Amino acid sequence: MPHEDQLQVEHELETIDLNINIGPQHPATHGVFRMVIEVDGEVVTDVVPHIGYMHRGGEKLSENMDYRQAIGYQDRTEYLSQFNAELCYVLAVEKLAPALAPPERAQYIRIILAELNRISSHFMFLGAFGTDLGVFGTSFVYAFRERENLLDLFEEVTGDRLMYAYFRPGGVAWDVPANFKSRVEWVCEQALIGASDMDRLLTDNEIFIARTRGIGILSAEDAIDYGVTGPMLRASGVRQDLRKDEPYAIYDRFDFDIPIGTNGDCYDRYLVRLQEIRESVKIVRQALEQLPDGPILPERMPRLLRPSAGEVYMRCEDPRGEYGIYLISKGTTQPYRLRMRSPSFCNLSALRQMTIGHYVADAVTILGSTDIVLCSVDR
Amino acid sequence: MSPEDRRAEAPPAEPPAPPEGSVADLFKKALPGVEMQAIQGVNDVLLVIDRADARKVLEIAKNDETLAFDFLRNLTGVDFEADGMEVVYHLHSYTRRHDVTVRAKVSNDDAELASVSDLWKAADWHERECRDMFGINFTGHPNLVPLLLPEDMLDHFPLRKDVPLAPLEEWQGEQLGDNVAQAGYIPPGSGFNVQASAEGE
Repeated sequence: MPHEDQLQVEHELETIDLNINIGPQHPATHGVFRMVIEVDGEVVTDVVPHIGYMHRGGEKLSENMDYRQAIGYQDRTEYLSQFNAELCYVLAVEKLAPALAPPERAQYIRIILAELNRISSHFMFLGAFGTDLGVFGTSFVYAFRERENLLDLFEEVTGDRLMYAYFRPGGVAWDVPANFKSRVEWVCEQALIGASDMDRLLTDNEIFIARTRGIGILSAEDAIDYGVTGPMLRASGVRQDLRKDEPYAIYDRFDFDIPIGTNGDCYDRYLVRLQEIRESVKIVRQALEQLPDGPILPERMPRLLRPSAGEVYMRCEDPRGEYGIYLISKGTTQPYRLRMRSPSFCNLSALRQMTIGHYVADAVTILGSTDIVLCSVDR
Repeated sequence: MSPEDRRAEAPPAEPPAPPEGSVADLFKKALPGVEMQAIQGVNDVLLVIDRADARKVLEIAKNDETLAFDFLRNLTGVDFEADGMEVVYHLHSYTRRHDVTVRAKVSNDDAELASVSDLWKAADWHERECRDMFGINFTGHPNLVPLLLPEDMLDHFPLRKDVPLAPLEEWQGEQLGDNVAQAGYIPPGSGFNVQASAEGE
Protein backbone atom coordinates (compact mmCIF):
# COMPACT_ATOMS: atom_id res chain seq x y z
CA MET A 1 0.00 0.00 0.00
CA PRO A 2 1.33 3.41 -0.89
CA HIS A 3 0.44 5.26 2.31
CA GLU A 4 1.04 2.80 5.09
CA ASP A 5 2.02 5.51 7.55
CA GLN A 6 -1.24 7.37 7.01
CA LEU A 7 -3.23 4.26 7.71
CA GLN A 8 -1.33 3.77 10.92
CA VAL A 9 -2.26 7.21 12.21
CA GLU A 10 -5.92 6.60 11.51
CA HIS A 11 -5.82 3.40 13.51
CA GLU A 12 -4.53 5.23 16.56
CA LEU A 13 -7.60 7.45 16.46
CA GLU A 14 -9.81 4.37 16.84
CA THR A 15 -12.01 4.86 13.84
CA ILE A 16 -14.38 2.21 12.55
CA ASP A 17 -14.53 0.84 9.03
CA LEU A 18 -17.31 2.31 6.98
CA ASN A 19 -18.67 1.41 3.57
CA ILE A 20 -19.54 4.24 1.24
CA ASN A 21 -21.48 3.59 -1.92
CA ILE A 22 -20.75 5.88 -4.86
CA GLY A 23 -22.96 5.55 -7.89
CA PRO A 24 -24.51 4.16 -10.07
CA GLN A 25 -26.00 7.61 -10.54
CA HIS A 26 -23.32 9.99 -9.43
CA PRO A 27 -21.85 12.96 -11.27
CA ALA A 28 -18.28 11.89 -10.51
CA THR A 29 -18.53 8.42 -12.04
CA HIS A 30 -18.68 9.54 -15.70
CA GLY A 31 -21.59 7.27 -16.46
CA VAL A 32 -23.36 4.41 -14.79
CA PHE A 33 -20.63 3.07 -12.58
CA ARG A 34 -20.79 2.06 -8.94
CA MET A 35 -17.96 1.64 -6.50
CA VAL A 36 -18.21 0.61 -2.89
CA ILE A 37 -15.44 2.24 -0.91
CA GLU A 38 -14.39 0.99 2.49
CA VAL A 39 -12.93 3.79 4.53
CA ASP A 40 -11.07 3.99 7.77
CA GLY A 41 -11.40 7.58 8.85
CA GLU A 42 -10.85 9.35 5.58
CA VAL A 43 -8.48 6.83 4.07
CA VAL A 44 -9.69 4.31 1.55
CA THR A 45 -8.87 0.75 2.57
CA ASP A 46 -10.74 -1.15 -0.11
CA VAL A 47 -12.55 -0.44 -3.37
CA VAL A 48 -15.00 -2.79 -5.06
CA PRO A 49 -16.00 -1.54 -8.51
CA HIS A 50 -19.33 -2.73 -9.87
CA ILE A 51 -19.76 -2.50 -13.63
CA GLY A 52 -22.20 -3.88 -16.14
CA TYR A 53 -25.02 -1.37 -15.86
CA MET A 54 -24.53 -0.41 -19.50
CA HIS A 55 -24.08 -3.93 -20.86
CA ARG A 56 -26.11 -4.15 -24.06
CA GLY A 57 -24.58 -7.20 -25.67
CA GLY A 58 -22.95 -5.36 -28.55
CA GLU A 59 -20.81 -8.40 -29.34
CA LYS A 60 -23.80 -10.70 -29.63
CA LEU A 61 -25.74 -8.18 -31.67
CA SER A 62 -22.84 -7.73 -34.07
CA GLU A 63 -22.70 -11.49 -34.62
CA ASN A 64 -26.24 -11.33 -35.94
CA MET A 65 -25.63 -8.50 -38.37
CA ASP A 66 -24.08 -7.74 -41.69
CA TYR A 67 -20.47 -6.58 -41.54
CA ARG A 68 -21.42 -3.02 -42.43
CA GLN A 69 -24.25 -2.83 -39.93
CA ALA A 70 -21.89 -3.66 -37.09
CA ILE A 71 -19.98 -0.41 -37.72
CA GLY A 72 -22.65 1.49 -35.83
CA TYR A 73 -22.03 -0.54 -32.70
CA GLN A 74 -18.46 0.69 -32.59
CA ASP A 75 -19.74 4.26 -32.26
CA ARG A 76 -22.08 3.33 -29.48
CA THR A 77 -19.42 1.40 -27.64
CA GLU A 78 -16.63 3.93 -27.70
CA TYR A 79 -18.70 7.08 -27.80
CA LEU A 80 -15.87 9.55 -27.23
CA SER A 81 -13.49 8.18 -29.83
CA GLN A 82 -15.84 6.81 -32.43
CA PHE A 83 -13.54 7.23 -35.42
CA ASN A 84 -10.75 5.31 -33.70
CA ALA A 85 -13.06 2.44 -32.86
CA GLU A 86 -14.51 2.39 -36.37
CA LEU A 87 -11.01 2.48 -37.82
CA CYS A 88 -10.03 -0.57 -35.81
CA TYR A 89 -13.11 -2.44 -36.92
CA VAL A 90 -12.81 -1.67 -40.62
CA LEU A 91 -9.10 -2.49 -40.55
CA ALA A 92 -9.93 -5.87 -39.03
CA VAL A 93 -12.45 -6.56 -41.80
CA GLU A 94 -9.98 -5.40 -44.44
CA LYS A 95 -7.35 -7.79 -43.08
CA LEU A 96 -9.69 -10.67 -43.83
CA ALA A 97 -10.85 -9.21 -47.15
CA PRO A 98 -7.66 -8.04 -48.89
CA ALA A 99 -9.60 -7.05 -52.03
CA LEU A 100 -11.02 -4.15 -50.06
CA ALA A 101 -7.75 -2.22 -49.85
CA PRO A 102 -8.74 1.42 -49.33
CA PRO A 103 -7.54 4.08 -51.79
CA GLU A 104 -4.95 6.62 -50.67
CA ARG A 105 -7.39 9.48 -50.22
CA ALA A 106 -9.64 7.44 -47.94
CA GLN A 107 -6.62 6.39 -45.86
CA TYR A 108 -5.66 10.00 -45.26
CA ILE A 109 -9.22 11.11 -44.48
CA ARG A 110 -9.43 8.32 -41.92
CA ILE A 111 -6.22 9.33 -40.19
CA ILE A 112 -7.16 13.02 -40.13
CA LEU A 113 -10.54 12.28 -38.58
CA ALA A 114 -9.18 9.71 -36.13
CA GLU A 115 -6.55 12.14 -34.87
CA LEU A 116 -9.04 15.01 -34.61
CA ASN A 117 -11.21 12.60 -32.68
CA ARG A 118 -8.32 11.96 -30.32
CA ILE A 119 -8.08 15.71 -29.75
CA SER A 120 -11.79 16.02 -28.99
CA SER A 121 -11.62 13.04 -26.64
CA HIS A 122 -8.68 14.52 -24.75
CA PHE A 123 -10.45 17.86 -24.47
CA MET A 124 -13.36 16.02 -22.95
CA PHE A 125 -10.95 14.51 -20.44
CA LEU A 126 -9.35 17.86 -19.60
CA GLY A 127 -12.72 19.46 -18.98
CA ALA A 128 -14.17 16.62 -16.97
CA PHE A 129 -10.99 16.20 -14.96
CA GLY A 130 -11.16 19.83 -13.87
CA THR A 131 -14.66 19.37 -12.54
CA ASP A 132 -13.70 16.07 -10.91
CA LEU A 133 -11.31 18.04 -8.75
CA GLY A 134 -14.26 20.15 -7.71
CA VAL A 135 -12.77 23.56 -8.32
CA PHE A 136 -12.32 24.01 -12.04
CA GLY A 137 -15.66 24.65 -13.69
CA THR A 138 -13.83 26.99 -16.02
CA SER A 139 -11.79 24.22 -17.58
CA PHE A 140 -14.99 22.40 -18.47
CA VAL A 141 -16.31 25.39 -20.38
CA TYR A 142 -12.97 26.00 -22.10
CA ALA A 143 -12.66 22.35 -23.11
CA PHE A 144 -16.19 22.14 -24.41
CA ARG A 145 -15.70 25.26 -26.49
CA GLU A 146 -12.83 23.50 -28.27
CA ARG A 147 -14.67 20.21 -28.51
CA GLU A 148 -17.61 22.00 -30.08
CA ASN A 149 -15.40 23.17 -32.99
CA LEU A 150 -14.41 19.58 -33.63
CA LEU A 151 -17.91 18.19 -33.35
CA ASP A 152 -19.13 20.83 -35.80
CA LEU A 153 -16.50 19.68 -38.27
CA PHE A 154 -17.45 16.03 -37.77
CA GLU A 155 -21.07 16.93 -38.33
CA GLU A 156 -20.20 18.69 -41.59
CA VAL A 157 -18.31 15.63 -42.78
CA THR A 158 -20.50 12.78 -41.55
CA GLY A 159 -23.89 14.34 -40.87
CA ASP A 160 -23.94 13.43 -37.22
CA ARG A 161 -22.40 14.88 -34.09
CA LEU A 162 -21.72 11.64 -32.24
CA MET A 163 -22.74 8.46 -34.03
CA TYR A 164 -20.79 8.86 -37.23
CA ALA A 165 -20.70 5.40 -38.87
CA TYR A 166 -18.61 7.05 -41.58
CA PHE A 167 -15.80 4.57 -42.21
CA ARG A 168 -16.46 1.57 -44.40
CA PRO A 169 -14.43 -1.53 -45.10
CA GLY A 170 -12.61 -0.28 -48.18
CA GLY A 171 -12.67 3.43 -47.48
CA VAL A 172 -15.14 5.99 -46.23
CA ALA A 173 -18.84 6.42 -46.91
CA TRP A 174 -18.62 9.59 -49.02
CA ASP A 175 -16.10 12.26 -49.82
CA VAL A 176 -15.41 15.15 -47.49
CA PRO A 177 -16.85 18.64 -48.22
CA ALA A 178 -14.97 20.95 -50.58
CA ASN A 179 -13.82 23.28 -47.79
CA PHE A 180 -12.48 20.40 -45.71
CA LYS A 181 -8.84 21.52 -45.83
CA SER A 182 -9.45 25.07 -44.70
CA ARG A 183 -11.86 23.90 -42.00
CA VAL A 184 -9.39 21.38 -40.60
CA GLU A 185 -6.63 23.97 -40.61
CA TRP A 186 -8.82 26.35 -38.65
CA VAL A 187 -9.84 23.64 -36.20
CA CYS A 188 -6.19 22.71 -35.64
CA GLU A 189 -5.31 26.32 -34.87
CA GLN A 190 -8.19 26.54 -32.43
CA ALA A 191 -7.19 23.26 -30.79
CA LEU A 192 -3.66 24.53 -30.20
CA ILE A 193 -5.02 27.75 -28.71
CA GLY A 194 -7.35 25.71 -26.55
CA ALA A 195 -4.54 23.46 -25.42
CA SER A 196 -2.42 26.41 -24.38
CA ASP A 197 -5.44 27.90 -22.59
CA MET A 198 -5.79 24.71 -20.58
CA ASP A 199 -2.07 24.71 -20.04
CA ARG A 200 -2.13 28.19 -18.55
CA LEU A 201 -5.23 27.45 -16.51
CA LEU A 202 -4.21 24.15 -14.95
CA THR A 203 -0.59 23.07 -15.41
CA ASP A 204 1.02 25.48 -12.97
CA ASN A 205 -2.02 25.95 -10.77
CA GLU A 206 -1.10 25.32 -7.16
CA ILE A 207 -4.44 23.75 -6.20
CA PHE A 208 -4.40 21.54 -9.27
CA ILE A 209 -0.90 20.29 -8.52
CA ALA A 210 -1.75 19.71 -4.86
CA ARG A 211 -4.76 17.64 -5.82
CA THR A 212 -3.04 15.55 -8.52
CA ARG A 213 0.70 15.20 -7.94
CA GLY A 214 1.58 12.00 -6.11
CA ILE A 215 -2.03 10.82 -6.24
CA GLY A 216 -2.94 7.46 -7.71
CA ILE A 217 0.56 6.34 -8.54
CA LEU A 218 0.71 3.26 -10.76
CA SER A 219 4.14 1.76 -11.28
CA ALA A 220 5.17 0.60 -14.73
CA GLU A 221 5.22 -3.06 -13.65
CA ASP A 222 1.74 -2.88 -12.17
CA ALA A 223 0.42 -1.03 -15.18
CA ILE A 224 1.69 -3.71 -17.56
CA ASP A 225 0.44 -6.48 -15.27
CA TYR A 226 -3.07 -5.02 -15.19
CA GLY A 227 -3.09 -4.60 -18.96
CA VAL A 228 -3.23 -0.82 -18.69
CA THR A 229 -2.49 0.87 -22.00
CA GLY A 230 -2.52 4.26 -23.64
CA PRO A 231 -1.83 7.54 -21.86
CA MET A 232 -2.05 5.85 -18.46
CA LEU A 233 0.74 3.45 -19.31
CA ARG A 234 2.81 6.20 -20.90
CA ALA A 235 2.35 8.35 -17.79
CA SER A 236 3.97 5.50 -15.85
CA GLY A 237 7.04 5.87 -18.03
CA VAL A 238 6.58 3.08 -20.57
CA ARG A 239 7.16 4.21 -24.13
CA GLN A 240 4.35 2.32 -25.79
CA ASP A 241 2.22 3.54 -28.64
CA LEU A 242 0.79 1.22 -31.26
CA ARG A 243 1.02 3.99 -33.83
CA LYS A 244 4.80 3.74 -33.49
CA ASP A 245 5.33 0.16 -32.30
CA GLU A 246 3.09 -1.63 -34.79
CA PRO A 247 2.15 1.07 -37.29
CA TYR A 248 -1.28 0.33 -38.70
CA ALA A 249 -2.99 2.12 -41.58
CA ILE A 250 -0.48 4.77 -42.70
CA TYR A 251 0.89 5.95 -39.37
CA ASP A 252 4.42 5.11 -40.43
CA ARG A 253 4.37 8.08 -42.81
CA PHE A 254 4.09 10.73 -40.12
CA ASP A 255 6.57 12.27 -37.80
CA PHE A 256 5.42 12.69 -34.23
CA ASP A 257 6.60 12.17 -30.67
CA ILE A 258 5.23 10.04 -27.86
CA PRO A 259 4.98 12.03 -24.63
CA ILE A 260 5.72 9.96 -21.54
CA GLY A 261 5.51 10.70 -17.85
CA THR A 262 7.84 9.78 -15.02
CA ASN A 263 5.82 9.25 -11.84
CA GLY A 264 2.64 7.61 -13.10
CA ASP A 265 0.40 9.83 -11.00
CA CYS A 266 -2.72 11.79 -11.95
CA TYR A 267 -0.68 14.86 -12.83
CA ASP A 268 1.45 12.93 -15.32
CA ARG A 269 -1.65 11.47 -16.93
CA TYR A 270 -2.96 14.98 -17.39
CA LEU A 271 0.32 16.21 -18.87
CA VAL A 272 0.59 13.26 -21.27
CA ARG A 273 -2.90 13.84 -22.63
CA LEU A 274 -2.37 17.57 -22.96
CA GLN A 275 0.81 16.98 -24.93
CA GLU A 276 -0.89 14.36 -27.09
CA ILE A 277 -3.27 17.03 -28.34
CA ARG A 278 -0.30 18.89 -29.80
CA GLU A 279 1.18 15.72 -31.27
CA SER A 280 -2.14 14.89 -32.91
CA VAL A 281 -2.26 18.34 -34.45
CA LYS A 282 1.19 17.61 -35.90
CA ILE A 283 -0.09 14.42 -37.50
CA VAL A 284 -3.23 16.09 -38.85
CA ARG A 285 -1.21 18.88 -40.44
CA GLN A 286 1.16 16.46 -42.13
CA ALA A 287 -1.72 14.34 -43.36
CA LEU A 288 -3.53 17.39 -44.66
CA GLU A 289 -0.45 18.43 -46.60
CA GLN A 290 -0.17 14.98 -48.21
CA LEU A 291 -3.92 14.50 -48.77
CA PRO A 292 -4.21 13.33 -52.39
CA ASP A 293 -7.17 13.56 -54.75
CA GLY A 294 -8.85 10.46 -56.02
CA PRO A 295 -11.52 7.93 -55.24
CA ILE A 296 -12.60 7.14 -51.70
CA LEU A 297 -13.70 3.56 -52.24
CA PRO A 298 -12.30 0.72 -54.36
CA GLU A 299 -13.74 0.56 -57.85
CA ARG A 300 -15.43 -2.78 -57.38
CA MET A 301 -17.29 -2.89 -54.13
CA PRO A 302 -19.22 -6.10 -53.45
CA ARG A 303 -22.85 -5.74 -52.61
CA LEU A 304 -22.41 -8.08 -49.65
CA LEU A 305 -19.17 -8.37 -47.77
CA ARG A 306 -17.91 -11.92 -47.43
CA PRO A 307 -14.44 -11.83 -45.87
CA SER A 308 -12.57 -15.08 -46.24
CA ALA A 309 -12.64 -17.51 -43.36
CA GLY A 310 -10.06 -16.85 -40.71
CA GLU A 311 -9.39 -14.82 -37.64
CA VAL A 312 -7.60 -11.60 -36.85
CA TYR A 313 -6.85 -9.60 -33.74
CA MET A 314 -6.55 -6.00 -34.89
CA ARG A 315 -5.42 -3.41 -32.39
CA CYS A 316 -5.37 0.34 -32.66
CA GLU A 317 -4.23 3.16 -30.44
CA ASP A 318 -7.41 4.63 -29.11
CA PRO A 319 -7.22 7.88 -27.04
CA ARG A 320 -7.67 5.62 -23.99
CA GLY A 321 -5.31 2.83 -24.97
CA GLU A 322 -5.32 -0.30 -27.02
CA TYR A 323 -8.64 -0.87 -28.71
CA GLY A 324 -8.77 -4.38 -30.09
CA ILE A 325 -11.14 -6.17 -32.41
CA TYR A 326 -10.94 -9.94 -32.44
CA LEU A 327 -12.85 -11.01 -35.50
CA ILE A 328 -13.55 -14.56 -36.61
CA SER A 329 -15.06 -15.01 -40.03
CA LYS A 330 -16.47 -18.19 -41.47
CA GLY A 331 -16.86 -16.77 -44.94
CA THR A 332 -20.45 -15.71 -44.43
CA THR A 333 -21.98 -12.24 -44.42
CA GLN A 334 -21.99 -12.04 -40.64
CA PRO A 335 -19.08 -12.07 -38.20
CA TYR A 336 -18.88 -15.43 -36.44
CA ARG A 337 -17.35 -13.85 -33.36
CA LEU A 338 -16.62 -10.23 -32.71
CA ARG A 339 -14.82 -9.36 -29.54
CA MET A 340 -14.13 -5.77 -28.57
CA ARG A 341 -11.14 -5.40 -26.30
CA SER A 342 -11.86 -2.13 -24.66
CA PRO A 343 -9.05 -0.06 -23.12
CA SER A 344 -11.42 1.43 -20.54
CA PHE A 345 -12.23 -2.03 -19.20
CA CYS A 346 -8.60 -2.93 -18.55
CA ASN A 347 -7.63 0.51 -17.27
CA LEU A 348 -10.51 0.45 -14.82
CA SER A 349 -9.43 -2.89 -13.42
CA ALA A 350 -6.37 -1.17 -11.97
CA LEU A 351 -8.57 1.24 -10.01
CA ARG A 352 -8.31 -0.71 -6.77
CA GLN A 353 -4.53 -0.81 -6.95
CA MET A 354 -4.36 2.96 -7.44
CA THR A 355 -6.96 4.06 -4.91
CA ILE A 356 -6.11 2.13 -1.74
CA GLY A 357 -4.31 4.31 0.75
CA HIS A 358 -5.61 7.62 -0.58
CA TYR A 359 -8.31 9.89 0.75
CA VAL A 360 -11.93 9.56 -0.37
CA ALA A 361 -11.78 12.86 -2.23
CA ASP A 362 -8.79 11.57 -4.20
CA ALA A 363 -10.70 8.46 -5.24
CA VAL A 364 -12.77 10.67 -7.50
CA THR A 365 -9.63 12.29 -8.89
CA ILE A 366 -8.12 8.89 -9.64
CA LEU A 367 -11.27 7.64 -11.31
CA GLY A 368 -11.33 10.80 -13.40
CA SER A 369 -7.70 10.36 -14.39
CA THR A 370 -8.41 6.91 -15.87
CA ASP A 371 -10.66 8.67 -18.41
CA ILE A 372 -13.06 5.75 -18.81
CA VAL A 373 -15.99 5.46 -21.15
CA LEU A 374 -18.57 3.36 -19.35
CA CYS A 375 -20.25 2.18 -22.54
CA SER A 376 -16.90 0.82 -23.61
CA VAL A 377 -16.31 -0.83 -20.24
CA ASP A 378 -19.61 -2.71 -20.39
CA ARG A 379 -20.12 -3.03 -24.15
CA MET B 1 -11.96 -31.56 -34.01
CA SER B 2 -9.08 -29.85 -35.69
CA PRO B 3 -9.04 -26.32 -37.07
CA GLU B 4 -8.79 -27.74 -40.59
CA ASP B 5 -12.25 -29.20 -40.25
CA ARG B 6 -13.53 -26.00 -38.78
CA ARG B 7 -12.35 -24.08 -41.80
CA ALA B 8 -13.88 -26.56 -44.19
CA GLU B 9 -15.71 -23.79 -46.00
CA ALA B 10 -12.51 -21.96 -46.82
CA PRO B 11 -10.79 -22.90 -50.10
CA PRO B 12 -7.27 -23.45 -48.70
CA ALA B 13 -7.81 -26.32 -46.28
CA GLU B 14 -4.25 -26.36 -44.94
CA PRO B 15 -3.52 -23.43 -42.60
CA PRO B 16 -0.13 -21.89 -43.35
CA ALA B 17 2.68 -22.75 -40.97
CA PRO B 18 4.71 -19.92 -39.45
CA PRO B 19 8.13 -19.21 -40.96
CA GLU B 20 11.37 -20.47 -39.43
CA GLY B 21 12.56 -18.61 -36.37
CA SER B 22 9.14 -17.36 -35.40
CA VAL B 23 7.86 -17.28 -31.85
CA ALA B 24 6.36 -20.75 -32.36
CA ASP B 25 9.87 -22.21 -32.47
CA LEU B 26 10.71 -20.54 -29.17
CA PHE B 27 7.65 -22.17 -27.64
CA LYS B 28 8.60 -25.58 -29.00
CA LYS B 29 12.10 -25.19 -27.64
CA ALA B 30 10.88 -24.14 -24.20
CA LEU B 31 8.20 -26.83 -24.05
CA PRO B 32 9.52 -30.09 -25.44
CA GLY B 33 6.89 -32.80 -25.49
CA VAL B 34 3.86 -30.52 -25.44
CA GLU B 35 1.68 -30.97 -28.47
CA MET B 36 0.83 -27.71 -30.16
CA GLN B 37 -0.23 -26.74 -33.62
CA ALA B 38 1.34 -23.56 -34.96
CA ILE B 39 -0.45 -21.50 -37.58
CA GLN B 40 0.63 -18.25 -39.19
CA GLY B 41 -2.25 -15.86 -38.60
CA VAL B 42 -2.88 -12.50 -40.23
CA ASN B 43 -1.10 -10.50 -37.53
CA ASP B 44 0.28 -13.02 -35.09
CA VAL B 45 1.36 -16.63 -34.78
CA LEU B 46 -1.41 -18.86 -33.47
CA LEU B 47 -0.81 -21.79 -31.17
CA VAL B 48 -3.61 -24.30 -30.71
CA ILE B 49 -3.17 -26.35 -27.56
CA ASP B 50 -5.12 -28.74 -25.41
CA ARG B 51 -6.61 -27.47 -22.20
CA ALA B 52 -4.57 -29.85 -20.08
CA ASP B 53 -1.43 -28.08 -21.29
CA ALA B 54 -2.88 -24.57 -21.13
CA ARG B 55 -1.64 -23.67 -17.71
CA LYS B 56 1.84 -25.05 -18.38
CA VAL B 57 2.19 -23.25 -21.71
CA LEU B 58 1.02 -19.92 -20.32
CA GLU B 59 3.25 -20.17 -17.28
CA ILE B 60 6.24 -20.71 -19.55
CA ALA B 61 5.06 -17.88 -21.79
CA LYS B 62 5.09 -15.53 -18.84
CA ASN B 63 8.21 -16.70 -17.05
CA ASP B 64 10.58 -17.98 -19.73
CA GLU B 65 13.25 -15.43 -20.55
CA THR B 66 13.18 -15.92 -24.30
CA LEU B 67 9.39 -15.57 -24.38
CA ALA B 68 8.69 -13.05 -21.57
CA PHE B 69 5.08 -12.29 -22.42
CA ASP B 70 4.37 -9.70 -19.75
CA PHE B 71 1.24 -8.17 -21.25
CA LEU B 72 -2.05 -10.02 -21.65
CA ARG B 73 -3.70 -8.00 -24.38
CA ASN B 74 -6.97 -9.82 -24.42
CA LEU B 75 -8.64 -12.95 -23.15
CA THR B 76 -11.89 -14.18 -24.55
CA GLY B 77 -13.92 -17.23 -25.40
CA VAL B 78 -15.30 -18.48 -28.66
CA ASP B 79 -18.11 -20.98 -29.06
CA PHE B 80 -17.57 -23.27 -32.05
CA GLU B 81 -20.80 -25.16 -31.40
CA ALA B 82 -20.19 -28.85 -32.12
CA ASP B 83 -16.40 -28.34 -32.06
CA GLY B 84 -16.44 -27.20 -28.47
CA MET B 85 -15.32 -23.90 -27.09
CA GLU B 86 -11.99 -22.17 -27.06
CA VAL B 87 -10.39 -19.68 -24.74
CA VAL B 88 -8.15 -17.32 -26.66
CA TYR B 89 -5.22 -15.48 -25.09
CA HIS B 90 -3.58 -12.62 -26.96
CA LEU B 91 -0.15 -12.02 -25.51
CA HIS B 92 2.48 -9.38 -26.10
CA SER B 93 5.95 -8.91 -24.72
CA TYR B 94 7.18 -5.39 -24.05
CA THR B 95 10.74 -6.59 -23.55
CA ARG B 96 10.98 -8.89 -26.59
CA ARG B 97 8.46 -7.04 -28.74
CA HIS B 98 6.68 -10.08 -30.08
CA ASP B 99 3.12 -11.37 -30.04
CA VAL B 100 1.38 -14.70 -29.91
CA THR B 101 -2.18 -15.94 -29.82
CA VAL B 102 -2.78 -19.05 -27.71
CA ARG B 103 -6.01 -20.93 -28.22
CA ALA B 104 -6.92 -23.52 -25.61
CA LYS B 105 -9.67 -25.95 -26.48
CA VAL B 106 -12.42 -26.56 -23.95
CA SER B 107 -15.17 -29.11 -24.33
CA ASN B 108 -18.80 -28.10 -24.16
CA ASP B 109 -19.85 -30.52 -21.43
CA ASP B 110 -17.50 -29.60 -18.66
CA ALA B 111 -16.16 -26.20 -19.55
CA GLU B 112 -13.26 -25.88 -17.18
CA LEU B 113 -9.85 -24.33 -17.49
CA ALA B 114 -7.07 -23.36 -15.11
CA SER B 115 -7.10 -19.69 -14.24
CA VAL B 116 -4.15 -17.46 -15.12
CA SER B 117 -5.21 -14.55 -12.92
CA ASP B 118 -2.12 -15.09 -10.78
CA LEU B 119 0.15 -14.74 -13.82
CA TRP B 120 -1.43 -11.56 -15.19
CA LYS B 121 -3.66 -9.42 -13.00
CA ALA B 122 -5.41 -8.33 -16.19
CA ALA B 123 -6.82 -11.84 -16.49
CA ASP B 124 -8.93 -11.35 -13.36
CA TRP B 125 -11.69 -9.31 -14.95
CA HIS B 126 -11.31 -10.93 -18.36
CA GLU B 127 -11.92 -14.38 -16.87
CA ARG B 128 -14.91 -13.17 -14.93
CA GLU B 129 -16.37 -11.72 -18.11
CA CYS B 130 -15.62 -14.94 -19.97
CA ARG B 131 -17.46 -16.92 -17.30
CA ASP B 132 -20.42 -14.54 -17.62
CA MET B 133 -20.63 -14.91 -21.36
CA PHE B 134 -19.61 -18.54 -21.96
CA GLY B 135 -19.93 -20.30 -18.62
CA ILE B 136 -16.32 -21.39 -18.59
CA ASN B 137 -15.25 -22.21 -15.05
CA PHE B 138 -11.74 -20.94 -14.38
CA THR B 139 -10.42 -23.12 -11.59
CA GLY B 140 -8.21 -21.30 -9.13
CA HIS B 141 -9.71 -17.88 -9.78
CA PRO B 142 -10.08 -16.11 -6.42
CA ASN B 143 -13.38 -14.36 -7.10
CA LEU B 144 -15.31 -15.82 -10.02
CA VAL B 145 -18.57 -13.92 -9.58
CA PRO B 146 -20.53 -12.25 -12.38
CA LEU B 147 -18.98 -9.01 -13.53
CA LEU B 148 -21.08 -7.62 -16.36
CA LEU B 149 -24.23 -9.67 -15.86
CA PRO B 150 -26.55 -9.51 -12.83
CA GLU B 151 -25.24 -11.27 -9.75
CA ASP B 152 -27.93 -13.95 -9.81
CA MET B 153 -27.54 -14.74 -13.49
CA LEU B 154 -25.45 -17.88 -13.08
CA ASP B 155 -27.00 -20.28 -15.58
CA HIS B 156 -27.45 -18.18 -18.69
CA PHE B 157 -24.52 -17.62 -21.02
CA PRO B 158 -25.51 -15.09 -23.66
CA LEU B 159 -22.57 -15.39 -26.05
CA ARG B 160 -22.96 -19.14 -26.55
CA LYS B 161 -24.30 -19.88 -29.96
CA ASP B 162 -27.30 -21.85 -28.68
CA VAL B 163 -28.66 -18.73 -27.02
CA PRO B 164 -30.64 -16.91 -29.69
CA LEU B 165 -31.32 -13.22 -29.84
CA ALA B 166 -34.76 -12.33 -28.61
CA PRO B 167 -37.13 -11.61 -31.50
CA LEU B 168 -38.19 -8.05 -32.12
CA GLU B 169 -41.22 -7.26 -30.04
CA GLU B 170 -44.36 -6.08 -31.69
CA TRP B 171 -45.64 -2.69 -30.84
CA GLN B 172 -47.81 -3.19 -27.76
CA GLY B 173 -50.12 -0.31 -28.64
CA GLU B 174 -52.08 -2.50 -31.03
CA GLN B 175 -53.51 -4.40 -28.10
CA LEU B 176 -55.07 -1.27 -26.72
CA GLY B 177 -57.84 -1.13 -29.31
CA ASP B 178 -60.06 1.86 -28.80
CA ASN B 179 -57.91 3.11 -25.94
CA VAL B 180 -55.04 3.74 -28.32
CA ALA B 181 -55.06 7.43 -27.50
CA GLN B 182 -53.65 6.47 -24.11
CA ALA B 183 -50.67 4.81 -25.73
CA GLY B 184 -48.88 8.10 -26.05
CA TYR B 185 -46.46 8.41 -28.91
CA ILE B 186 -47.32 6.28 -31.91
CA PRO B 187 -44.32 5.66 -34.14
CA PRO B 188 -44.89 6.74 -37.72
CA GLY B 189 -44.85 3.84 -40.09
CA SER B 190 -46.13 1.39 -37.50
CA GLY B 191 -49.11 0.79 -39.76
CA PHE B 192 -51.53 1.79 -37.10
CA ASN B 193 -54.10 4.42 -37.90
CA VAL B 194 -55.19 6.37 -34.86
CA GLN B 195 -58.21 7.98 -36.51
CA ALA B 196 -59.56 4.71 -37.86
CA SER B 197 -59.27 3.01 -34.50
CA ALA B 198 -60.98 5.83 -32.67
CA GLU B 199 -63.96 5.49 -35.02
CA GLY B 200 -64.24 1.84 -34.12
CA GLU B 201 -63.25 0.33 -37.48
